[in-house]
Amino acid sequence: MITVERLTKRYGPFTAVDDVSFEVKPGLVTGFLGPNGAGKTTAMRVMAGLTPASAGRATVLGKPYAALPNPGRHVGLLLDASAQHAGRTGREVLTLGALLMGVGKHRVDEMVELVGLTEKEANRRVRNYSLGMRQRLGIAHALLGDPEVLILDEPANGLDPAGIRWMRDLLRGYANEGGTVLLSSHLLNEIERVADEIIVIGHGRIVAEGTKDELLAGAGTYTRSTDDDALLAALAAESVVAHRTPTGGLQVDAEPIAVGRVAAAHQIVLTELRGGGSRGLEEMFLDLTADAAREEVAA
Amino acid sequence: MTATTTSPVAAQVSPTAESALPTVAKVPSRIAGPRPTTGVPFTRLIHVELRKMLDTRAGRWLLIGIGAIIAVALTIMFFNEGGEHAFGEYLQATTMPMALILPVVGILAVTAEWSQRTGLVTFGLEPRRIRVAWAKTLAALSVGVCAFALSLVLAGIAHQSAITFRGITGDWSIDALALLGAGGYVLLGIAQGVGFGMLFKNTPAAVVVYFVLPTAWSILASMVSWLRDAATWLDMNQTMQPLFEGSLTGEQWAHLGTSVAVWVIAPLAVGIWRLTRAEVK
Repeated sequence: MITVERLTKRYGPFTAVDDVSFEVKPGLVTGFLGPNGAGKTTAMRVMAGLTPASAGRATVLGKPYAALPNPGRHVGLLLDASAQHAGRTGREVLTLGALLMGVGKHRVDEMVELVGLTEKEANRRVRNYSLGMRQRLGIAHALLGDPEVLILDEPANGLDPAGIRWMRDLLRGYANEGGTVLLSSHLLNEIERVADEIIVIGHGRIVAEGTKDELLAGAGTYTRSTDDDALLAALAAESVVAHRTPTGGLQVDAEPIAVGRVAAAHQIVLTELRGGGSRGLEEMFLDLTADAAREEVAA
Repeated sequence: MTATTTSPVAAQVSPTAESALPTVAKVPSRIAGPRPTTGVPFTRLIHVELRKMLDTRAGRWLLIGIGAIIAVALTIMFFNEGGEHAFGEYLQATTMPMALILPVVGILAVTAEWSQRTGLVTFGLEPRRIRVAWAKTLAALSVGVCAFALSLVLAGIAHQSAITFRGITGDWSIDALALLGAGGYVLLGIAQGVGFGMLFKNTPAAVVVYFVLPTAWSILASMVSWLRDAATWLDMNQTMQPLFEGSLTGEQWAHLGTSVAVWVIAPLAVGIWRLTRAEVK
């Protein structure tokens, strides 16, 4: 359980996180989605007690992070996979963590195996790791203390599609056992595939939050039929807004069931009928990203 | 001629290719017993910090370097002037390289957290940063104590070998104050290194300032008269000198105390204060 209350972090005149409140519940995978520079990492660092908040607060398991006894046994952190000493071996990185948390060295072997690093790779220095291997090492480190809460910043970065699927299965299983997961990403399809709940952040503010289904709903319906002209007319008669898409078929501002009823009443054969999917979320997200890009150009 | 057919499935995986994630994700097993309700014991923090100083290539090479310099110094002394040197001189040969290089171990112990960004993990696992700061200081000092004990042993072996194999007349006399001076020289240097590391949070800056400042100070002091007066109070190379000579007047103790306060205690105090407040990135 992570609770963030009216959190604000300012750097001089720049506000990285602006009056943000949300809750991350146990048993669910919560995705923290936003373009680069939206404030995700800053917010996560505040949660982990590494960055002091300018105002508001964040608590993990009901306490400020710094008040957790032996926090590695309660919260698994992966804030930057590259933040490891290049001169240490992967195994040594995990051994140091295990020593500090007091979990025993067999746990190191277990985690190495869990993320699929070979014996040889684990004994290689982190300097020689690819980004994907660093991410796996970071995930192994986060899970080392058998935590109740996971805070992962861009954990899927550097993983291939099979790796993202692996991550989804891992986090799903972990959440099913009652774990709390917050993971961030700047890629919508990554979050879509892994998360149950989504918090969208842009310019330091929350712009949308809810379950994936809620956020993906309301994007209208896409449909094709044997006679699109007739369907368009029938929908217009029911005062449902619809328009042709450039690639053929109709985009309708209604739920699929409503479109199906209209088609049935007018005996029009549908060849395709589906919800708009992530289109709405995607457009909102693209707007945010474009804003951020414009600001970068202006700056 | 027989046509060779290559099987389409027998694509060779290069031996350097990295391993893949397992095809099936396994949920990590639970650790038996309740979660801890007490913090990380301080001795454990010291143990981990000690290990971190020695488990990187940089740390290991620094120690190997010290060992090599000591070996060379002792070999030269062993053959120079028929090995006719007192124990105290052998001790100087073993202590000097340590006093010179071990502070870098102290500097790196702190600055690596920022330059290698391991601070994200270190302070994530122990958010009470002041404990980490003390663990680092004490771990570095314990490296110094072990090193100094080793330098006594090595100097003893070298001196005894010179007596046995080169037939010199042994001179084991050593002044208690000189011993204190030699040990203090090593330990104060390390503490100063840790302090500078915390103050600058940056390896090159801390190393350069640590090594250049005393020299620059000596050069300036030789040119500017009022600096020369200040140096008697502030230049640690000067204030420590009477220790090695074996006697200190009250005023010389005051000189020593002042210089230690300025160069060791103050950087440590300000450094720890900074460390506990800095944003970890």
